[in-house]
Amino acid sequence: MVQERRILYEHLDVPDINTFDVFRQYDGYKRFEKTIKEHQPEEICDMVTQSGLKGRGGAGFSTGLKWSFVPRDIEPRYLCCNADESEPGTFSNRYVLEKNPHLLIEGILICCYAMGISTAYVYIRGEFTLGKRMLDAAIEEAYRHGYLGKNILGSGFDLDVYSHPGAGAYICGEETGLIESLEGKRGQPRVKPPFPAVEGLFHKPTVVQNVETLCNLPFLMGQGVEWYTSIGRTYGDTRFDPPQSDPNTGTKLYCISGDVNKPGVYELDLGLTAEELIEVAGGVKGERVKAVIPGGSSAPILTHYELECRLDFTSLTLWKSMLGSGGIIVMNETRNIVDCLLNIMKFYAHESCGQCTPCRWGTPWVRDIVQRIADGEGRQTTIQRPRFGIAEGGRWGDTGEMEEVYEDLDLLESVANNIANVDTMTWNTICVFGIAVSWPAVSYLRKFRPEFEAAIREGKLVTLPVEEATVPPEENYAYQQRIVPRLFEAPA
Amino acid sequence: MSNELIQIETPFQFSEENQRKFDKLIQRYPVKEAAMLPTLHLAQKQAGYISPAVMEHVAELLELPVMKVKDVVTFYPMFFEEPVGKYVIRVCYTLPCALRDCKLVLEHIKEKFNIDVASETDLAKGTTPDGKFTLLKSECLASCDVAPVVMVNDDLYKNLTPEKMEEILDGLE
Amino acid sequence: MAFIKLNDLEVEVEDGTNIIEAARQHDIEVPHYCYHPGLTRPANCRMCLVEPHVFFPPAGKVVPDRQLATGCTTTVRTAPPDRKLDGKYDFIVRTDTPRVKKAREDILEFLLVHHPLDCPVCDQAGECDLQDFSYNHGSGKSRYLEVKNVPPKKDLGPDVLLYSTRCIVCTRCIRFCDEVAGTGELGLIHRGSHDEIDIPRDHDENPLRLLDNKLAGNVVDICPVGALISKDFLFKSRPWFMKQVNSVCPGCSVGCNITVDYKEDGLYRIKPRFHEDINQHWMCDDGRLGYHYVNSEDRLQIPMKRVDGELVPTSWADALNLIVEKFSETDPESIAVIGSAQGTNEENYLLGKLAREVLKTESIGLFGREPGEEHKFPQFTIDADKNPNTRGARDMLKLGEDASLTGEALWNGIANVKVAYLVNGAPERPLDEGAKQVLEAVDFLVVQDIFESDVAQLADVVLPGVTFAEKDGSFTNAKGWVQRIHRAVDPPGEARVDWEIIQQLAKRLGGEMDYHFAGEIALEIAENVPDYQDATHQNIGAGGVNIERG
Ligand SMILES: Cc1cc2nc3c(=O)[nH]c(=O)nc-3n(C[C@H](O)[C@H](O)[C@H](O)COP(=O)(O)O)c2cc1C
Ligand code: SF4
Ligand code: SF4
Ligand code: SF4
Ligand code: FES
Repeated sequence: MVQERRILYEHLDVPDINTFDVFRQYDGYKRFEKTIKEHQPEEICDMVTQSGLKGRGGAGFSTGLKWSFVPRDIEPRYLCCNADESEPGTFSNRYVLEKNPHLLIEGILICCYAMGISTAYVYIRGEFTLGKRMLDAAIEEAYRHGYLGKNILGSGFDLDVYSHPGAGAYICGEETGLIESLEGKRGQPRVKPPFPAVEGLFHKPTVVQNVETLCNLPFLMGQGVEWYTSIGRTYGDTRFDPPQSDPNTGTKLYCISGDVNKPGVYELDLGLTAEELIEVAGGVKGERVKAVIPGGSSAPILTHYELECRLDFTSLTLWKSMLGSGGIIVMNETRNIVDCLLNIMKFYAHESCGQCTPCRWGTPWVRDIVQRIADGEGRQTTIQRPRFGIAEGGRWGDTGEMEEVYEDLDLLESVANNIANVDTMTWNTICVFGIAVSWPAVSYLRKFRPEFEAAIREGKLVTLPVEEATVPPEENYAYQQRIVPRLFEAPA
Repeated sequence: MSNELIQIETPFQFSEENQRKFDKLIQRYPVKEAAMLPTLHLAQKQAGYISPAVMEHVAELLELPVMKVKDVVTFYPMFFEEPVGKYVIRVCYTLPCALRDCKLVLEHIKEKFNIDVASETDLAKGTTPDGKFTLLKSECLASCDVAPVVMVNDDLYKNLTPEKMEEILDGLE
Repeated sequence: MAFIKLNDLEVEVEDGTNIIEAARQHDIEVPHYCYHPGLTRPANCRMCLVEPHVFFPPAGKVVPDRQLATGCTTTVRTAPPDRKLDGKYDFIVRTDTPRVKKAREDILEFLLVHHPLDCPVCDQAGECDLQDFSYNHGSGKSRYLEVKNVPPKKDLGPDVLLYSTRCIVCTRCIRFCDEVAGTGELGLIHRGSHDEIDIPRDHDENPLRLLDNKLAGNVVDICPVGALISKDFLFKSRPWFMKQVNSVCPGCSVGCNITVDYKEDGLYRIKPRFHEDINQHWMCDDGRLGYHYVNSEDRLQIPMKRVDGELVPTSWADALNLIVEKFSETDPESIAVIGSAQGTNEENYLLGKLAREVLKTESIGLFGREPGEEHKFPQFTIDADKNPNTRGARDMLKLGEDASLTGEALWNGIANVKVAYLVNGAPERPLDEGAKQVLEAVDFLVVQDIFESDVAQLADVVLPGVTFAEKDGSFTNAKGWVQRIHRAVDPPGEARVDWEIIQQLAKRLGGEMDYHFAGEIALEIAENVPDYQDATHQNIGAGGVNIERG
């Protein structure tokens, strides 16, 4: 069985690790001291790039690459630590803040030293009152011990860290929504470009980084790139010739909830399969798995026969889903997928910032259609439309045949795709919240169509047995198009 | 709807302690407007909710038109524009909690106090007549491993059942 | 200049131009709602999507970009030589592909989800971007079965109503108040599909502030749909029943470019017209709503003369004869002629000519509205001089900076005059006791005006002139812009165009004047008045001519 590898969480449960003294006993701030003694800022950036560290907040974007976009000649620059953790099914940042806040501060120190930043804000979601108290106390201690403030440890490096509370809006987790919110406005995401790295907080270059991403830095700096890259998996990106390396290195704080026996945060090497993770979490609660959400509620759902997929950034993307925030929600055979989608669509309709047309009016529309189906009032009329499947030449697409579908199911898919198109991965919205809406809507519908059809046919929610509820692999768009990535082999 | 401007009868002022906190807060940001959310939290702690008087005062402190404050207050669910109960109960209602029967907990509270779930524009219907409790649904509270969860003011309660909830509520003054 | 490929056209556009404007310059329409050239660009309506083309290294060629881009925020720049597309273009963009059309249809469908489609009772019908675009770009049928949001109709301020149902939350109105006016009365309330525009209110919907800044009316103009409505214009007329002329606001010496909407029975609406150097897209509410006097029942309609201390109606012939008689029998030194800062260059020029060449007097003065307050906004200023043509009138009457018969000095200056001819046009101006005494002491006072003003009431003969909406001519604003006003409606009753009255007087006094239209006078002005050499009506056109720039 797969073993946990606790790095970020290693000392999480040590009593009083939240205090400076105990944190020090467990190497606290020593990695930062080592860093400023041994490395120039540019070297740190190179190391982060070489480590292959990818952002843990959702987008999985290379941290080193993001840092390289920051213009070094514009002052001041800012760090915003994203502690807004609101993606349903995600709860790993909370424990860091509540139990081991000094680790985050150490990560912030390393990032700011590397980027020449002297002001960092930690944007904490408003509901994390305990987390904010603990972090504030830790910040105060760090100031007292000279690890924050002016001329830290005599190095000439200054850093102020402030915590900043959110107020209950999910969209403030989106990096530019966060910046707007921090500036004291509605958390409405900005149009990109310009990206925050170039023009962010107070219109200055800004690095936005998730809590977990930053917490990787002390260990990376303490134990080196080689050690770091030995954890996880590195794939070859075959779009390039010769293949380029596509790292999924380090551990991930997988948050697992729903129908498992031992829900919780498990720190594991990136790249274990969904099946393995469920096993680590005590197995499914109930008879068997019906579906798994692999990366927070925004991620396309996986069916019972897709659990062989590895839960890392690359594999899930190639399986037309995403690792996102690493929030894994398991549903057993008693769950009704229409009902689950309704719950999620209510969430998105409530959380849309309302700024741009497709999302403002499309998201509640999608919710209303799902509500109608769940209420047993889905329209019985059927319409003809082109059937998608394995088309000529073995590719997925229009088969040239027609099929009959329930009008409301077609409408649901079409409205969702008009917000953001799941097949072409294009969106007409300002931010990717749009695709976070259409991904679940379209994937649940396509993969569990029989359950949606049953709800319309029977005029009420009908929970079908797993096999019957799921479309067979041959008709599953994602499964048919999936690519299993191959491990990277360095060119000889 | 009239066109008469309302007159603020009792202007809002920060308590001395909160004023000190505010004075510290405002120094953290290069522009005053950025102190908006922490200032509103501070004011709501003191006043219970964001009344027009609070909005006017915050606008003055941050040197903004009062509409900019109203604009923000209505965007964020954590700010209330009406009085709320002494205890604000937030029942998480998102999928992981839904999979763990948060509905039972919510229904139990509704029955116990004979109230509805408050909405952001109508808090009164979710508030007990004695003004002690306000019941709200909440989106994911990032504690799905210990679902279902409920926040009562600043405290999080985990792994709830209707019985445990009952006990907790009865224990509140 | 950037060299771009726009659909099938190869065109040059200035660096920094966005796609909407680049396309507009070449008569290609890119539909849009939130973008307004005078405001910042939030790109929230998503209507202006276009298809940029980019170089895709793996394919080694230029291909359509994976994502569409918003035409409002995508700007073109000259690319370095090694980054040209297809070897020569700085940018390649298409606005007409199936993808673009599909995106527009989708966005429109969303926009109409909650829209009441009440065009038959909407004031904006006929000039509504939503109506226009959905006609041109939409698919026509609604797939939305749910109940539409019905947010209430709201009173925002003295002149502005909000029909929330029609609002598409483009935020133009909010941005206007924030950026141009700097007053920030408007904002959004609630979130997501519950978003509504509003002023700050308490929980019982009573306002804490009103949308009452002096530029507020502009939000009605820029609202792309019929959500913001001017109370002044509400249900007054369907736009297509009105005629329109270009003109210049007579409200102050900024000289905002305007359009005047009118029907035979009078003026219906004044809206700003773009002028880059003067008013951009805006005007103030004093100017916008100040036109009602033109339509007033109380306008002077026939000449009057004083008989037994009372002003009684008379004929033009009688009135003019009386004046000619008095002028002829009076010593030129004792005659004063006072022009109006409300009047056009043309009439003031003729007045100067009448005074100097016919009456042979140098006692020439200038009257007009009293100075008011200056109002400064971040991107707009309302001038303290409430006359549209102070500068032009001075130029025409050849009044130097130290001219004595202007401002408060006017009254002293004419204290010893026997006959005075005063062209007013600032009828609302009250006279203080001192001024009244001076005017009463004048033996024979001729006043040309549009109302029975304080001044007219002291006159011995009153001649009914006309307003800016009833005559042609030009004004020179404080910054030296000479601009045209155009006749919209006919003068009321027997009232006559001011320069014609002056010409008739001159003729009867033996002067040589024979102009047939205002433009003829302007030709002469161009010859005779320094700096006005280019200010012929032909040259002025719609954009004006600046006398400071030569
Ligand atoms: C709708 C939406 C919500 C998001 N919520 C969060 C969040 O709660 N926490 C987070 O760290 N990142 C969140 N993100 C991702 C951020 O935009 C951003 O990618 C991240 O903070 C970058 O940090 P990283 O590179 O360290 O992951 C969200 C993104 C979107 C589109
Ligand atoms: S996609 Fe949705 S959340 Fe994102 S900016 Fe548009 S309305 Fe806001
Ligand atoms: S009222 Fe008009 S201008 Fe204002 S947001 Fe709505 S549609 Fe736009
Ligand atoms: S600023 Fe002056 S010219 Fe412009 S609209 Fe107002 S009054 Fe008229
Ligand atoms: S005009 Fe470009 S998005 Fe609205």
